[in-house]
Amino acid sequence: MENRNRGLISAFSLSDFYASESLRIQQSFDGTGDGLAVLRGRSEVVDTAVASLYRHYFSSQLDQPGKFCMLALGGYGRRELFPHSDIDLLFLTESSAEQASQRMAIAALLRELWDLRLRVGHSVHTLAECGRLYRQNLEFNVALLDCRYLAGDPELFNRLHDDVYPHLVSRDHQDLFRNLAEITRARHRKYDDTIFHLEPNLKDGPGGLRDYHVCRWLARISAIAKHKVWGPPEELWPAAWRAEAGPAWEFLCATRCFLHFFRERDDNQLSYECQDEACARGIGFQRGADPDCGGTWLPPPSPEDWMRAYFRRVRSICQLTLRLLDDYTPAGTGLYGLFQNWRSRLSNADFSVLREKVYFRQPAVPAQDPALVLRLFEIVARHGLEVSREAERAVAEAVAHGVTNLLESGVVWNHFRQILCFPAAAKALREMNRLGVLRALFPEFQAIDSLVIRDFFHRYTVDEHSFMTIQNLHALSRRKLRDRPNPDAAPEWEDRLAEILEELEQPELLYLALLFHDVGKGMETPDHVEGSRQAVEAIMTRIELAPPDRTTVRFLIVNHLEMSTTLQRRDIFETETVRAFAEKVETTERLKMLSLLTYADIKSVNPEALTPWKTELLWRLYASTANHLARSADDERLTLAVASASAAERILPLLTPSMTREKIERFLEGFPRRYLAAHSPEEVALHLERAERLASAPTQVQLKAQGSLHELTVITQDRPFLFASITGTLAAWGMSIVKADAFANAAGVVLDTFRFGDLYRTLELNPSEAERLKSNLVDVLGGRMELAKLLSGRLHATQTRKPKVTILTKLRLDDSSSSHSTLLELITQDRPGLLYQVSSVLAELGCNIEIALIDTEGEKAIDVFYLTAQGRKLSPELQAAIEKVMFAKL
Amino acid sequence: MKKIEAIIQPSRFDAVKDALHEIGVEGMTVLEVRGHGRQKGHTEFYRGNEYKVDLLPKIKIEMVVPDALAEQAVQAILRAAKTGKIGDGKVFLTHVDDAIRIRNDERGDAAL
Repeated sequence: MENRNRGLISAFSLSDFYASESLRIQQSFDGTGDGLAVLRGRSEVVDTAVASLYRHYFSSQLDQPGKFCMLALGGYGRRELFPHSDIDLLFLTESSAEQASQRMAIAALLRELWDLRLRVGHSVHTLAECGRLYRQNLEFNVALLDCRYLAGDPELFNRLHDDVYPHLVSRDHQDLFRNLAEITRARHRKYDDTIFHLEPNLKDGPGGLRDYHVCRWLARISAIAKHKVWGPPEELWPAAWRAEAGPAWEFLCATRCFLHFFRERDDNQLSYECQDEACARGIGFQRGADPDCGGTWLPPPSPEDWMRAYFRRVRSICQLTLRLLDDYTPAGTGLYGLFQNWRSRLSNADFSVLREKVYFRQPAVPAQDPALVLRLFEIVARHGLEVSREAERAVAEAVAHGVTNLLESGVVWNHFRQILCFPAAAKALREMNRLGVLRALFPEFQAIDSLVIRDFFHRYTVDEHSFMTIQNLHALSRRKLRDRPNPDAAPEWEDRLAEILEELEQPELLYLALLFHDVGKGMETPDHVEGSRQAVEAIMTRIELAPPDRTTVRFLIVNHLEMSTTLQRRDIFETETVRAFAEKVETTERLKMLSLLTYADIKSVNPEALTPWKTELLWRLYASTANHLARSADDERLTLAVASASAAERILPLLTPSMTREKIERFLEGFPRRYLAAHSPEEVALHLERAERLASAPTQVQLKAQGSLHELTVITQDRPFLFASITGTLAAWGMSIVKADAFANAAGVVLDTFRFGDLYRTLELNPSEAERLKSNLVDVLGGRMELAKLLSGRLHATQTRKPKVTILTKLRLDDSSSSHSTLLELITQDRPGLLYQVSSVLAELGCNIEIALIDTEGEKAIDVFYLTAQGRKLSPELQAAIEKVMFAKL
Repeated sequence: MKKIEAIIQPSRFDAVKDALHEIGVEGMTVLEVRGHGRQKGHTEFYRGNEYKVDLLPKIKIEMVVPDALAEQAVQAILRAAKTGKIGDGKVFLTHVDDAIRIRNDERGDAAL
């Protein structure tokens, strides 16, 4: 090269040289795909051009060298010039006097470089300035980490390289570390802290080339600060990471070279078009370059596979960056350091927590105790901690030995449900995915691992979108109404959705549905919803999810697009739209879950996808449907001809052979449709068997524990004061009713279900008391025991407690919603015995409770009663009387 | 050239967009807006709280088309957006002096 370029003084020959060399480099790349060769080659060409220009414009320096030299910085300093990268130059002088004398020559040299169409960035500094820390702009200080001598006084360069700069680094390395960490984290935030963009930026995105440089800089700062040595910084990284990051770097270099040549400019975004072309050319897949391909050239079959290879490599660089930032960022003694130390208190018998990282107490144990692997992610999900390198190794080893296969199905779900419900669930799930645990437990997830599905609106890969939905829902649950800047202003639509999230009975089912709702996108099925359903059926069978829970998850997966379609295509202010939608969701609980799933799904498409306008539409459809479900229960009753016949088909196989189809249909006839939606076929079969025994025992009572609550089912013939008698008995026992449904069929059989909390832990501490409660109920309903006697003392004792939040009583009587009944909607302060008070007032006024839907939200009771008097809607006089007495009592 | 502004029901947007594409109108600006006309809204109750539905969510589309296409575009919007109920929205038509494509300085109909 030296011979070829001798005498390159005239602008013409220099530009000729530069153009022909650039062409040669590009042609060579087209043949070999070797990105590193491009970087080296282009640096050499620019070196030659710069040296030639230096000889021409600084000829006086050649004879009598002054205190002046020229340095390369940044990528040029590292000899890593991409086809359209900038050239960074530093003109270093001993003092400002030299700067003035060289000004003209510097300007002339730069002009020549610009005429070559090189984009040059330059600065002129004295040696003393290079030893100063610029707190407001540390970029210059960091840029010197890649400085390389080009021409001029070598002695001046040596003083900078061996003395001035190492002195600065050893003095201010903590500031440099901190600054690098700050700007890197800010850059990651700009890309939503994820590598999984559908069209990623391979330079600045997390895990991109800039991250690789940050890793080198961190190691170099550390080496200079400790030993004043400038060796290859990669050698200071842990060996295992170096082995992964090296090939990843080569892959990214080849890809960026391709991008620059293909787009003919410094463009670093991997657009869909570029992905297609990179895949077709097998970029990054040279012979022997890809360990995944066993060293043979094997181009990926599709752009999706090429992108998967891309994400695998970027992930290793991103991990390395986060780890090194963590290692080198000083904990200090500031507040953050104190917080980190305080978090060590999270250590327990299995794990120790040190500086935000979790370690196994005994690293060999995960291989023997598979549940420990899941407990590790539980602690990560609960406290948002990092998995330590040591724990990572132990987990990887456990997974490689198939330890997760040893887990019993029930155990998997018990831990996994916890992980899903903890606030940092998304972080834990991403870590489980990275370390192969998620795939080992749910091979179905593999289908969407790093999967790019091209779409105008989606910004992330399918797996990342799924994690993001869970992250966004947990973020929603952290929104607190009381934390709003102006508590008097109307709540934001998201605040209202946050309220319904808090009310969910089984949020884990919603999170499970979110994790797998798009798995079908990676399957062969023509319809991704059907694919996701098939996958989740297999998963639910494996983890032995209870049958009613499977129905819920299946419903959410199958209908996950239903609500957004309704919002987009139907007029949600039309009664018919709301009715049809309510018919699909059937219960309020499912409506809440589907609304939240829709919220999380849209919000995770891209950060701007869910506008306040769309959130408002979503909430309005939710509220109108919730109202419809509460106000239309008695208009939609099961008839012998239609609904009850098909339901009988599902229930018949669960019953004893003596039970006939006719008996089932007779039992179901006249119940609101809501009854079938609220109870599984197994529960309905049980109710029917109980109802068959009414002739011999007129009150059938069933009591069972349901999580932290108890569930009481009473089946009996309808009669006045029935609802009041049951709620009164529960109040006498100090039970706090949180939910209730009361239904009656055409034959006058009443089926009341109550969920209640045991305020005084009576049933928990004295299991035999359950039988006494049941017999009290049978006696009160049979007229053998006086309710007033049972109640005396209890209500007085409990009413003295002061509520934490005051709820104003609101009462609304509505004649228009139902064709048969008058609706009483009551919102009031929840308190012991409330339902007894309300229902006894209604009974005393001669009202019959056709249906009751009872709900509690914190200290707010939300009750809806469908009332009739003598088989008709309530007269205006009776409505006025109810209003008067209720307000007086409540 | 005419500027067409149409305020329509969100549920009719896809149909309106398709109808405009069919007659050759490709470009448009779409805004999520709230508002009311003579349909002043009403009050709803949810769990004892009153919610005023006075400003209803609507979609506003804006486009500039050559004079020859204006009436056809208006008819396409009317056909696709009409449900016959209150709240179907409105179409506004105004004259536009000129249009300039920023990329290459093209003017008039060529810039559309």
